[in-house]
Amino acid sequence: MLYIIEDMINGILMGSIYGLTAMGLTIIFGVLKVINFAHGSLLMVGLYATYWAITLTGIHPYLALFMVIPAMFVFGYYLQDIVIKPIFIAEKNVREPITVIIVTTGIWYILDNLTLLLFGPQYRSIPDNPLQGQMFEIGTMFVSAPKFYGFLTAIVTACAIHWFMQKTIMGRAIRATSMDREAASLMGINQYRIYNVAFGIGAATAGIAAVTLIPFNNIFPTVGVLFDIKGFIIVVLGGLGSISGALIGGIIVGLIESVGPQFMTATWTEAIVYGLFLLVLFVKPSGLFGQKHDW
Amino acid sequence: MNLLNRFTLPAVAFSLALGSFGLAQADNVKIGNIEPMSGPSATLGQQGKAAREMAVEEINAAGGIKALGGMKLELIYADSESKPEKGVAEAERLINTEKVHVLTGCWNSAVTYPTTAVAERYGIPFVVPVSVSDKITDQGFKNVFRIAAKDSWWTKDQFAFLKDMQAEFGTKVEKLAFVYENGDWGKGFATQWKKLAEEAGYKVVLDEPYPSTATDLSPVVQKIRRANPDVLMLVSNAADAILLTNTIAEYKVKVKAIVASGGGHADPSFMKAVGKNAQYLFDIVEWETDVNKPGAKEANDKFKAKNGYNLTGEAVDAYVAMYVLKDALERAGSLEPAKIREALATTNLKDGPGMIVGYDAVKFDATGQNEMASPVIVQVADLGKGLERVTIWPKNARRAGYTPVFPITK
Repeated sequence: MLYIIEDMINGILMGSIYGLTAMGLTIIFGVLKVINFAHGSLLMVGLYATYWAITLTGIHPYLALFMVIPAMFVFGYYLQDIVIKPIFIAEKNVREPITVIIVTTGIWYILDNLTLLLFGPQYRSIPDNPLQGQMFEIGTMFVSAPKFYGFLTAIVTACAIHWFMQKTIMGRAIRATSMDREAASLMGINQYRIYNVAFGIGAATAGIAAVTLIPFNNIFPTVGVLFDIKGFIIVVLGGLGSISGALIGGIIVGLIESVGPQFMTATWTEAIVYGLFLLVLFVKPSGLFGQKHDW
Repeated sequence: MNLLNRFTLPAVAFSLALGSFGLAQADNVKIGNIEPMSGPSATLGQQGKAAREMAVEEINAAGGIKALGGMKLELIYADSESKPEKGVAEAERLINTEKVHVLTGCWNSAVTYPTTAVAERYGIPFVVPVSVSDKITDQGFKNVFRIAAKDSWWTKDQFAFLKDMQAEFGTKVEKLAFVYENGDWGKGFATQWKKLAEEAGYKVVLDEPYPSTATDLSPVVQKIRRANPDVLMLVSNAADAILLTNTIAEYKVKVKAIVASGGGHADPSFMKAVGKNAQYLFDIVEWETDVNKPGAKEANDKFKAKNGYNLTGEAVDAYVAMYVLKDALERAGSLEPAKIREALATTNLKDGPGMIVGYDAVKFDATGQNEMASPVIVQVADLGKGLERVTIWPKNARRAGYTPVFPITK
């Protein structure tokens, strides 16, 4: 019984971090209506940015948030503005901008291989990591401290984004655009600027996820791919475009991954996660918390 | 002018590229190399590439293949991304489009296995420096030659090592835990382990395959902790080896010994990334920098100066593979695949530059397996100069003055 509780705690903590990695994906989809295949690469860029911020300045990993969030926002903002926007404009009469999806795939390959060229294939982890191996020991139970901080960060991030979307003018403009881009344009909202901001926020959340991951993970150029696939499953589970859905989808995946191995081998839990993914697609394609869009 | 430049530059570059390509086709021995250049095993592919390049540079500088009028070796690479289907497609391309004379690769056993079938179909000799799955040379293929020891030999040595250590240090080992990546390589090892454990009367308390792409291995580590084994035996690729070693340390898993199987645990970035957490780990490898062989130290120094890390067992296999090929080409005196194949089959390479492996010769049996290959076991330890890998087994190869730490008492 104690084992199950210990595993559930690990599952919830790790799952909320998975949710955080997927949050940017769901935000970008919600507004642009485009699956961003480069999301894993954004996370990878975030990880390298965090790595260098910590290595060069020697600050505590979580203080790197103050550098990584603005840097990733700017990166995402201009990535959308310079690379993706022209495709949107060229395809503006097309109902489903499929080309944009292909462009994001291109960005994924370019970013991953550029990192491989610049930094080599080595596995890196931050030096003198103050959180390395930190554990809360409750009786015989172990709870990873860096994962717990990641869990708190995920909750705070989700709440902050929710507040931003509900209460600020920019947040309302983003929601308006996500509901109906034509109508929003008629109300005087510059939809391309909204896209830039949404992409920036998506990239910034990938940066936050990177900060929570770096104390207990190593980084390498294709690290994003590992989280990418999981990210897609999570957002489909939770409902594309839903922020709380991403968090809950993440926790579901985390729980399966963590509790499952006590009853079967770890390999099987992957099959269960994918099975659940298919089941949701069959039974409730809009996900557990998604709205019924007309897409 | 500007306009002119814009058009002439690419045109010139294009014709230059064509020109050199045309020349290359006539004058060089083309060696096609399928390796994981990106993806989860990219570091290992890059090491194999660096080692091949060093050997080929040396061979070419020493006058190339004399029996072919000083013909030079040319390396052509293809990226498998560690994916079997990619390896097969690239083998087809290398054979049909690049017209390679020989193939080498692919590090991942899961890639090498189907890819060698392509080479066999076309009758192109395929030298496997290191992919250890038994079934690669058990297919009855005529064109497959493997330098490294196959996994049934590795596992046998791991168990012989366990037995010797128990006798030497008077500590009894009863319970074993097997944790391995769920690819061909890991599963191949585990099948052998289970058989050997049963024969030797060990109790297997955990048998756990896990996906190498896992982003969280604490559930697996929890299972190890709860199974409470005496010895933990691992097969891991690079990223998961790091994650697993750190997680094992975090959860304070106490075992008498951890025995790894090369691969990710032998990767140069592994020790850098896990630091102290790797201390006293046992690892089985084909080669170590402290091997007592003429030329080994020089080759390693040269490699390190160029690449910034030591030669690994995998890199040495790739390095030796180029010399084995050179030797075969000299004796074949022809670029015809069938002649090269015949020459490879009668290889008996004992010395000369490049023979820096720990064993005495490269000699292929009827299945194409190098029958002389044999691995050594090392322990990660700090001898005052930071963590290093110290050869400890077989006992006659043990580094002078070092006493292995068994069981672990940290």
